[in-house]
Amino acid sequence: MGTVITKIPWGVLLILLPLMGGMACFLWPRIAKILGLVLTFVGVLSVVGLGWQIMSNGVYHHAVGGWGAPLGINLYADGLSLLMLAITALVGFGISVYSSGYFERQHSTRFWPLWLLVLAALNALFLSNDIFNLYVTLEVMGLAAVALAALTGSRDALSGAMRYLLANLLGSLSYLFGVALLYHGFGSVDITTLAVQVKGSPTTWAALGLIGAGLVLKTALFPLHFWLPPAHASAPAPVSALLSALVVKASFYILLRLWLEIFGPLGGDVDTLFGVLGAVAVLWGSLQALRQTRLKLLVAYSTVAQIGYLFLAFPLAMSAGVMAWNAAVYLALSHALAKAAMFLATGNMLRFGGHDRIADLDRVVQRLPLTATAFALAGVSIMGLPPSGGFIGKWLLLEVALAQGQWGLVVIIVLGGLLAAGYVFKVLGQAFTQAAVMHESRAVPASMEWAALLLAFGAILLGFLATPVLSLVGIGSPFGAHEVMP
Amino acid sequence: MLQWALDALLGLGLLWLAWCALMSPNLLKAIVLFVAFGLLMALAWVRLDAPDIALAEAAIGAGLTGALLLAALARLRFAYADEETVGSPAQEEAKVRFPQWLPAVPLLLVVAGLGYVVLSLPPYATGLSTEVTANLESSGVSNPVTAVLLNFRGYDTLLELVVLLVALLGVWSLDGLALGRETAPGPVLDTLSRFLTPVFILVAAYLLWVGAHAPGGAFQAGSVLGAAGVLLLLAGWRFRAGLTELPLRLVLVAGPGAFVIVALVTMLMEGQLLEYSPEQASILILFLETTATFSIGATLAALFFGGRPQDDKEHT
Amino acid sequence: MSTVFLYALVGVVLFSLGLYALIVHAHLLRKILAINVMGSGVFLVLVALAKRTGEDTPDPVPHAMVITGIVVAVSATALALTLMLKLTAETGNAELPEDSRE
Repeated sequence: MGTVITKIPWGVLLILLPLMGGMACFLWPRIAKILGLVLTFVGVLSVVGLGWQIMSNGVYHHAVGGWGAPLGINLYADGLSLLMLAITALVGFGISVYSSGYFERQHSTRFWPLWLLVLAALNALFLSNDIFNLYVTLEVMGLAAVALAALTGSRDALSGAMRYLLANLLGSLSYLFGVALLYHGFGSVDITTLAVQVKGSPTTWAALGLIGAGLVLKTALFPLHFWLPPAHASAPAPVSALLSALVVKASFYILLRLWLEIFGPLGGDVDTLFGVLGAVAVLWGSLQALRQTRLKLLVAYSTVAQIGYLFLAFPLAMSAGVMAWNAAVYLALSHALAKAAMFLATGNMLRFGGHDRIADLDRVVQRLPLTATAFALAGVSIMGLPPSGGFIGKWLLLEVALAQGQWGLVVIIVLGGLLAAGYVFKVLGQAFTQAAVMHESRAVPASMEWAALLLAFGAILLGFLATPVLSLVGIGSPFGAHEVMP
Repeated sequence: MLQWALDALLGLGLLWLAWCALMSPNLLKAIVLFVAFGLLMALAWVRLDAPDIALAEAAIGAGLTGALLLAALARLRFAYADEETVGSPAQEEAKVRFPQWLPAVPLLLVVAGLGYVVLSLPPYATGLSTEVTANLESSGVSNPVTAVLLNFRGYDTLLELVVLLVALLGVWSLDGLALGRETAPGPVLDTLSRFLTPVFILVAAYLLWVGAHAPGGAFQAGSVLGAAGVLLLLAGWRFRAGLTELPLRLVLVAGPGAFVIVALVTMLMEGQLLEYSPEQASILILFLETTATFSIGATLAALFFGGRPQDDKEHT
Repeated sequence: MSTVFLYALVGVVLFSLGLYALIVHAHLLRKILAINVMGSGVFLVLVALAKRTGEDTPDPVPHAMVITGIVVAVSATALALTLMLKLTAETGNAELPEDSRE
């Protein structure tokens, strides 16, 4: 039994199955929904298989074409890639279940092929060890994400998607320029080869600037976040969940990976810059979220703030590498679950009430108890209250900041949590007011309520899984071996 | 010395055309200049010993992109035809939002910085050319660019075909405005398309075949095929109603689909994704390139057409 | 200075020209043109520097990358143009709304 599981090339299947599925959904729209559901579930199983493989054999290698780097492209998965793949599979399955009830026929035939291709691109991205191949996966993901964001064809959706597309293309070209410089400076596009070859030189710094700027734009770090709120807020609910939970994490993952392998060890003050921008993002995003009167925009601005937290780890990692990165990964994972749940719950409220004006949500919140619970639980994780994944992440971050005496960051971390409490309760407060106005209501399928709730539960559950998750992320020591695990 | 002057002139020409295309007050003029820029780029690729890219640039970069841009401009102006203010040159004028010099200052620093970096690179570097040469024998083709695209980095090419498919899915899911038949094609276009289509198909077949050992290959052949499709569409040719559904979609998916299947089969036979045994490499590459050519041609023509083909049937 | 670096510098300037036009123009068709010029700049840098092998044949790997890049560029352009047309049909204006937030 065990040998069969370890022999199947799960990593490759994670890319090829959704790829074939996307094409099949395009060819035969009638079976798109069922095929999409089955394949996203198989995706969860494949990640389990890959996890088994990695835990018994160590990191996963696959030399595509049999050539191996530097001539060919290598696939690579360590604990960090595995966790990103796992969260993609889980959130992806939740999104699939939700979407099976959400989309009507016409939109459904358009949604499934694009969604499966985004999923394939995400998996390919987390598995790639080649910076040019990463560019191609970014393009597949980006173009499909833009098409999905524009799905409803409304004025807001179209302008949001257009802005998103331009930001994406600009980010990709900047990234590609950096790749060009690295290739011509050091003769390879393989990350492992580059990690050995790259030395501090003008070429390296220019490449860092171009790649960093491109990826920061795609990750929507302040002040390059301008495209995110309109795009994420005007997309259909499952697409908003996909964009906020997974797509922005993908570009962050590339940045983190390149930082760990190539740029980080060279020193420089870029990590301080990332930290400052992250801190401003936490405050600015939270304040903007508080100001919003529409629920989807509030949730979208909350993403801007939570992305800021991920970048706080960069300055802290200088002397406490493993722990700071653990915190960032934990925050990314729990934000993926919580924000997906939050956007899906918001979608339920929007469908039930026909609007997302926060001030008039009282009846909606009271009539959809499961959805309200999902929103509340996701909110607990976003605020960073125990027990939740968000709490563990922020706690780890706080611990490192305290140990290093970085009082500024300590204040930011705490203040960000308080502001998050402010905007979460702004919504939940509606549950305790007297509902006066009657609204038109439209039934919400149970699958949509449960998908949101289970993802939110996942974010809470992550609060109890710190030990196994942190030991998983240590496989292949992506954060460097020089430090002892906490 | 003469060579140097030629290159310098070409470089300056590129910059001047790009500047004019980007800053022209008239959109039509801007697009025409952009196409001219693309053709000059093709010349630059030839000067840089990159004939494969020159072919791709001329067909895709200048040709099809230009056709897409012109079609979009025509639709933009057509949509405004009943309104007076919009669509007039005044609205299309290069409007700027803030003082033009403001972003120019940091960008000059970018030019200086990146220029310095580029000049700081060593004058000689082999890159991966020695590895490519060493393994060219077992790659199945003798054109090194084709070997990289279809064998050494075939996985990139697989994903690239997916990018093309995603773009078409996006265009279709947006309900793009399908190419109308507002204007009769006229006898010139009609005759031209009848005469040129077989020529284009022959050229495509030649490029596909020759790609194994000389400049050419699936992308160049596919884009020539796409150009033939564009010409036919302009001449008013449409798919027969029965063919627009599954058969068309099968052609669009054939390229990436065949690639994925070959990837799976080779993995089962040889152990790694897209690992061809040296004896079968050339036939596999020819198969992949042929299916890719059809898909690329069909996808590019469909992107030019805009909306879903079946919409056309309903509207007319 | 050899022609290799001449073309690479032209690539750098094209990238920046495109970026400049992308920032200053409001019309979406011009922004799309600008992105395409930026792309040509990057491709030129990639291919020009591939000629530094010191032999007659340049390094083919960047050539293959640029062919990939050209196909990606035309795909993105087609999607962007369709989005632009749809947006114009909705708003009557081929520009991004200044600020759609409430």
